[in-house]
Amino acid sequence: MKDYGMYEQIERYLNGAMAAEERAAFEALLQTDPRLATKVQEHAQLLQAMQHYGQRQTLKHKLNNLHAEMEADFDLAQEATPQSAQIWKVYWKRHAQTIAVAASVSLLSVFGTLWSVQQLKAPVRQQTARYVELRREVEKIKKEQRAIINDINSVDPSVKPAPRPARFSGTGFAISSDGYIVTSSHVLEGADSVMIENKSGLKYKVTEVYRDHDNDLSILHIADPAFTGFGKLPYTFKNAEADLGERVYTLGYPREDIVFGEGALSSTSGFEGDTTSYQISIPLNPGNSGGPLLDDKGNMIGIISGKQVGQEGAAFAVKSTYLLEMIAELPAAATLAPLTLPKKNNLTGNSRPQQLKKLKDYVFVVKVYSSKGV
Amino acid sequence: MKKSLYETDEAIIQGIRRNDDRALAYLYKLHFPMISHFILSNSGTDDEAKDIYQEGVIVFYEKIKDNSLELSCQIKTYLYSVCRRLWLKRLAEKGRFANRIDDSEEFQTLEEDVQKHEENERQFGVMADALGQIGEPCRSLLEDYYIRMQNMQDITDKFGYTNTDTAKNQKYKCLQRLKKLFFAAYKPEV
Repeated sequence: MKDYGMYEQIERYLNGAMAAEERAAFEALLQTDPRLATKVQEHAQLLQAMQHYGQRQTLKHKLNNLHAEMEADFDLAQEATPQSAQIWKVYWKRHAQTIAVAASVSLLSVFGTLWSVQQLKAPVRQQTARYVELRREVEKIKKEQRAIINDINSVDPSVKPAPRPARFSGTGFAISSDGYIVTSSHVLEGADSVMIENKSGLKYKVTEVYRDHDNDLSILHIADPAFTGFGKLPYTFKNAEADLGERVYTLGYPREDIVFGEGALSSTSGFEGDTTSYQISIPLNPGNSGGPLLDDKGNMIGIISGKQVGQEGAAFAVKSTYLLEMIAELPAAATLAPLTLPKKNNLTGNSRPQQLKKLKDYVFVVKVYSSKGV
Repeated sequence: MKKSLYETDEAIIQGIRRNDDRALAYLYKLHFPMISHFILSNSGTDDEAKDIYQEGVIVFYEKIKDNSLELSCQIKTYLYSVCRRLWLKRLAEKGRFANRIDDSEEFQTLEEDVQKHEENERQFGVMADALGQIGEPCRSLLEDYYIRMQNMQDITDKFGYTNTDTAKNQKYKCLQRLKKLFFAAYKPEV
């Protein structure tokens, strides 16, 4: 009975139900009686634990109810949306690194492939469809060596220094008896001075008087006062388009000597469908540029301009129509007296060697001197 | 309606402080899918998800009630962090060490909160054991008096004691037994 009373007392003390005096007395007792103090402390702890426990139980009960309620009204549709978003989030977190690596590898390989294809394609394209102008780069080194040897050999100090060798050469031919010559513009590219020379040894200094970039044609004029005239030109210029399959030939200077080339007119359009030129099946080499293209009867039908690398027997010549057009507009553009074109053809009916004999004096090697590297 | 009431974290916390069960309900339903997903995707079951989540909510709830909550992040992050910690412990207890946890959320380390919670849990576990061991009617008697705060007269009537003194005596005996059992198993870590 005593203990039970004591508990009552302790509980009242803990609940703060004691009156001030009683409380003071009890506290005094606590001070003196350590056993009582532990008891009170233990009791307080026990009660607190019990109360907390009770609260916790209620809360748990509440949460369980909530959970049941939630599960009841969780229909699938509601669940699906956040769930899938979560799945994606986790998926992303888990695989982000892998995905990043994969992405960079694929990007790298895509661009690498593109790049290497480009690299591989460049030379291939060059091989298949490249247009080359047939201007000849003179074997400079060889000539320079020869000049040096000459220098060494010449004991006479009064001998002039060896002439500077020509850097490029092409072919040109006369279009009127008063000293006008036509050649390809690209032959004259970067020229400081231009000389022409024919088979019989005539050698003149010429100046460029007109240039038609679009058709790659240039007109040269002999500036030499010693020049008196070519005499009558044996060929005429054809104004109409030549026919497919016509036998054609050319004379040119792909090397030091004049070279004859023969073939057929294989197409009435040129490189990549260019309608201003013919395709011809004459084997041509650098240096042939600017040479005349003649048909069987000795009509000038075109000017050799270039060939296609990687394609057998495809050379090109600018149609004579464009040369004539250019000649017609020449006086206005360059303030020159109109050119008198040859009217009579002396080649018709002659055998080929006969034709060439008459022709070769009017075909020149065009030597281009340049100090600049082109 | 509900949504607009508890749209912000602050509103939810205020609601819980006011003992508003709707706030708790809203909170509970709002974040369960996140935790459920977390547990399920880290080798847990539905029941474990429910368990862990409820513990997490309890930690949060009690911190609010204590006024000791210093929320440095969203409630969502807090709950996630607590549940994550709890689940890692649970996994360790099961002897399954999660070498890799798939996280779908940001989280914080809330070691202190979780530890305090565990201490409480231990106490409650001991209390529940003790209460179980004293048996009926002791248990109901004590619960009615100390937890449900019924007065002695009602208890006397309910249990059919002749008078309140008998009831008080009975209660005393029960409490004595409970105390013995409780302190035998529980040593507060101080």
